[in-house]
Amino acid sequence: MAEPVPQVVAQMPKAKLIGLLALFLGPAVVIYTAFSIYPLLATMQLSTFTGETGGGVHFVGLANFATLLTDSLWSQPFWNAFKNNMIFFAIHMAVQNPIGIALAGLLSLPGLKLKGFYRTVFFLPTMLSVVIVGFSWNLILSPLWGVAKGALTAVGLGSWFAPWLGLESTALATLALMSVWQFVGIPMMLIYAALLNIPDELVDAARVDGLGQLRIFLHIKLPLVLPTIGLVSVLTFVGNFNAFDLIYSVKGALAGPNFASDILGTFFYRTFFGNQLQLGNPTMGAAVATVMFFIILAGVCLYLFVVQRRMRRYTF
Amino acid sequence: MSNLRVEHLGKSYGSANVLIDINLTVENGEFIVLVGPSGCGKSTLLRMIAGLDGVTTGDIYIGDRHVNGLAPAERKIAMVFQSYALYPHMDVRKNMTFGLKFTGVAPAERERRVNEAARMLRLEPLLGRYPRDLSGGQRQRVAIGRAIVREPDVFLFDEPLSNLDAALRVSTRVEIARLHRLLGATMVYVTHDQTEAMTLADRIVVMSEGRIEQIGKALDLYYAPANLFVAGFIGSPAMNFFPGAVEAVDGGTARIVGAGFEPLALPADGLDPGAKVTIGVRPEHLRIAGQGPFATSGAVELVERLGESSFAHVRRADDKMLVVEVRGRETPAITETVTFRAPLQDIHAFNASGQSIPIKGSSH
Amino acid sequence: MFLEQRARALAVHVVLVAYSALALGPILLVVMNSFKARNAIFGSPLSPPDSSTFSLIGYAKVFRASHIFVYFENSLIVTIVSMGLVLLFGAMAAWALSEYRFRGSTALALFLSIGIMVPIRLGSVAILNMMRTAGLNDTLTALILVYIAQGLPMAIFILSEFIQQIPMDLRDAARCDGVPETRIFFEVIAPLLRPAIATVAVFTIVPIWNDLWFPLILTSSDSTHTITLGVQQFLGQYITDWNSVLAALSMAILPVVVIYVIFSRQLIAGLTSGAVK
Repeated sequence: MAEPVPQVVAQMPKAKLIGLLALFLGPAVVIYTAFSIYPLLATMQLSTFTGETGGGVHFVGLANFATLLTDSLWSQPFWNAFKNNMIFFAIHMAVQNPIGIALAGLLSLPGLKLKGFYRTVFFLPTMLSVVIVGFSWNLILSPLWGVAKGALTAVGLGSWFAPWLGLESTALATLALMSVWQFVGIPMMLIYAALLNIPDELVDAARVDGLGQLRIFLHIKLPLVLPTIGLVSVLTFVGNFNAFDLIYSVKGALAGPNFASDILGTFFYRTFFGNQLQLGNPTMGAAVATVMFFIILAGVCLYLFVVQRRMRRYTF
Repeated sequence: MSNLRVEHLGKSYGSANVLIDINLTVENGEFIVLVGPSGCGKSTLLRMIAGLDGVTTGDIYIGDRHVNGLAPAERKIAMVFQSYALYPHMDVRKNMTFGLKFTGVAPAERERRVNEAARMLRLEPLLGRYPRDLSGGQRQRVAIGRAIVREPDVFLFDEPLSNLDAALRVSTRVEIARLHRLLGATMVYVTHDQTEAMTLADRIVVMSEGRIEQIGKALDLYYAPANLFVAGFIGSPAMNFFPGAVEAVDGGTARIVGAGFEPLALPADGLDPGAKVTIGVRPEHLRIAGQGPFATSGAVELVERLGESSFAHVRRADDKMLVVEVRGRETPAITETVTFRAPLQDIHAFNASGQSIPIKGSSH
Repeated sequence: MFLEQRARALAVHVVLVAYSALALGPILLVVMNSFKARNAIFGSPLSPPDSSTFSLIGYAKVFRASHIFVYFENSLIVTIVSMGLVLLFGAMAAWALSEYRFRGSTALALFLSIGIMVPIRLGSVAILNMMRTAGLNDTLTALILVYIAQGLPMAIFILSEFIQQIPMDLRDAARCDGVPETRIFFEVIAPLLRPAIATVAVFTIVPIWNDLWFPLILTSSDSTHTITLGVQQFLGQYITDWNSVLAALSMAILPVVVIYVIFSRQLIAGLTSGAVK
């Protein structure tokens, strides 16, 4: 509306303006800085120290990072967790987002009956807590209960069944798919909203031109929602590299079997708080957190400067 | 009530000049209309008087108080917005009294003012309703009521009728005129519609591109426009313009020639041979079987019949279109070539820079 | 041609129904079996409980062995208070950033929006230390403060978008009316932000309610646990007791589902209106 500062504000006595700013911005800025920004900076600072027996800490510069990345005692689990996290992310990108896009595409078809019902149902798993999701699927996939086995046998795929969650080779992928099952609602909703924004006239014009629904989706709708898909991708990235809850609630802090499902979040938790195998190490934990922060930052910057700049955003 | 004075007022946004050297005095109780095309700066001027936009150069005085540095609330003004700006979550009564609470008006006095305004505007049955349940015209009256209860020194109206349909516009226009007579208040009214300006104003301020083109009473502007812009803006359909030049000057008469009209002997001083002159004649002043020194002709291409008057669109010899008002049932046939004449008093002449040239023997 | 259209519509529905089964199946399975006796759970897991197999034994155990209502109450307090304060502080900040602009306004807005992308968990080391120093360790207040910090950036972003939609004539009219600045916010602007509540709620409530990390780190005693943490620990403890486990899961699922179904329209409208940048 008023692009320049409103006249009343510009003419306000400085003291009054400062008072208003303190009142309106104060609480938000104080809480945010104190509990979001400051802790992050403090953690990064802590990562440059190391603990002494006896309780103090002394400055060691980047030594912790060197240890983390190269000393096999630390680097082996770190790179394992990093690799697993990348796989975790790749599975989400390959499964969650395409399914979300496809569902959004189906839901946005004109004249679809029961749209509201489907939308509500598809988004329901996202509302559940990860604990519920993790444990429910754990039970269902458990060889003891036999539900999954029974279901597969019923369609003739009984031989496929294995205790996936318990096997080193399949545990991570299974957990990733459980996460996908839960969170597919988010890309679905975001892309659905973006599809709604496409004016009906464009679709109508395409139909008059003779395009079928699939072609319309692939050549018209999809390109127009690419910015949202980009957004979804970066949110997936941030979410995956921050993930912890699911793995922890299904596999515990040790992220077994044999660290096969260990990702950066669980590695961080274990490093900082310790567990039955090791003592908690706050400074190394801080180092892990700092590295995680930079990984996430790198991903976001990649998105902001490379992807978003190249992407054209169409307004209607 | 009080007067309003604007002296050498200017407004720029960076390098863009929106208002240039505006000088205006509004007397106590006068109804002034600021009129002009979009972008002429009329709304900006109004908002600067209100205090919603800042002053770049110049001064504003309300009731002889210098108000440049004052917030809107301190200027004793009230504004009626084009979009009505009613608080959607408050009922009509609350809408009108909301502001009064903060200016130290006692509850009993607030009640009295609201009831008085409601009576004046026939809002009594609507006091408990919410804006979403009101029609456009009703909302506009509430907005006016909200202004009245403030008992301001100056009322400011920002295109209040633009969002109403045609019929409602006419009836609300009459209401506003009636209100002005009733309250005797000083009112500054902005519109792009010259009909509203002509019917409501004591004086009209015609603006274009940030400047005042002319200030005057409605009929003065109609009969004696000071320049090309005012001549073409006031009056609907617009005045017909005929480009020409001075062929020769003989004593106090200049012979003007142009492609669209027969040579014209114009009694005017101060014209040199070769000087560019634009002749202007209103559609309603050209007659088919008319008298007068001015004559133009052409083939009729279209006739718009509106009842008692019709408008003939004629293609002139210089290939421009001419609009002529024809009264009565007998309208010219299409493709008929007709000659139209106008008497001296209905001819306007403008020099190369668009200024009006005084014509001897005429009122302008 | 018409038949082809019908067939296509049918195919679409088949896909959607299949996915619905996939989405709802696990939940129904868990809830259904929570009401069955143990041998029925294993014997015929896919059939609903009938008169012979119906049993509430799991639920009884949950009520006895855990403080599920305490957990529920804690979650409720934390979520509602956090949501309320995020809305209040967020709206005030969004308003000030758009209205009372000053030289550092854009920088401040950018500073606040960093939080949308940066995960607050990474600062947990320092947060825990801060809470210990402030004596807020193991309190609901600690959780509330952290969740407010977490929710503010997104809330401010969403509320800023909604503030843009409010016609500024209203603000000008209020100023001409002589309304003081703070009253303009609380009585003119804020009531018009009601549609924003749904959008902010979606992005705030769900992550808070379902969060495992901060209750795990910041609360140690049973009486401050939230429902997510409480259920998780109960599950860990009674992992072989299938009745109790299924009952606990169901008790965690049902309130969420009920609230979701009731408010689904507002929630989804909130998500779709606020999410598109």
